[in-house]
Amino acid sequence: MQEPPKEPVKYVEANVYLPYRYIAGDYRARAMHGLKEKKFIGSKDSKTGKVFVTPLVNSPESFAPCTEFVALEGRGVVTTFCIVNIPVIGRDLQLPYVAASVALDGADISIFAAIQECAVADVRMGMRVEAVWKPDGERTGSFDDVLYFRPTGEPDAKPETYLNRL
Amino acid sequence: MSAPGAVEPMYQEQVMEFPYKHSTGETVGRFLAGLKEQQTIWGHRVAGQGVVVPPMGYSEIDGRGGGEWVAVKDTGVITAAAIVHHPIARLHPFEQPFAFVLVRLDGADTALAHVVRDDLGKVKVGARVQADWKPDGERVGSVRDIAAFRVVG
Repeated sequence: MQEPPKEPVKYVEANVYLPYRYIAGDYRARAMHGLKEKKFIGSKDSKTGKVFVTPLVNSPESFAPCTEFVALEGRGVVTTFCIVNIPVIGRDLQLPYVAASVALDGADISIFAAIQECAVADVRMGMRVEAVWKPDGERTGSFDDVLYFRPTGEPDAKPETYLNRL
Repeated sequence: MSAPGAVEPMYQEQVMEFPYKHSTGETVGRFLAGLKEQQTIWGHRVAGQGVVVPPMGYSEIDGRGGGEWVAVKDTGVITAAAIVHHPIARLHPFEQPFAFVLVRLDGADTALAHVVRDDLGKVKVGARVQADWKPDGERVGSVRDIAAFRVVG
């Protein structure tokens, strides 16, 4: 036996596995607890009055502390969106689905959300949507408590109402 | 809502996983095929380094490629060891205590990184070891086709 086999092994598979404990911290913990109560918690810039959701400790705009919390209902407007055609590991939504930026009523920035219960072709900027929550008793204080957003059927919001909240 | 006060702390156990598919390339690929098909550990004799195991396909001294294939023995000597007394689930390859070792195989001039699972009290630099192979049909072309090294003598 003078040589190893002519045909090489082409590849090896390996899995990097990193378990860790994520600690939410004060503001984020409030936001998580809020989800359990079907509320989105935002924090208010003490200088400009802008509301950030999820809550920020300090305003990235004015650098002023955000010392006041506000609870927002899960209703808002689609400010921008994309249609997802490629599966994402850990997300078992049926393809294609819509990933959207949703500006909640009372918030000055938007959050990311999946839009369901309508055809992807029907999603548009300005569409009014509402959160669909996990049933009472099943919410754990996690972003998974929000299943997705769905159209409310209300008339579309005018662009000037959400232009600065993209 | 009012100003910040105390809030119940919140944490979550999370896992980040990265599945990798490494292309092995010609040299390492044939080394792995040797483990699987021949139950043989192959090294590469390269300029300035002697017999390198596992082979890399080039010399680290002068960067020259090529070299002669040399079969080395599956016995050797431990040149470095670290005993893992408390393995972490899925982070380490075993759930029971084991040792990471570097083994300089007989006929080789460099050391192969591997594990010892039994007789950890005998694991020390200079101890002689022998490979425990997985049986025919269970070897897949991976360095883990050598199940572990066993301290002998």
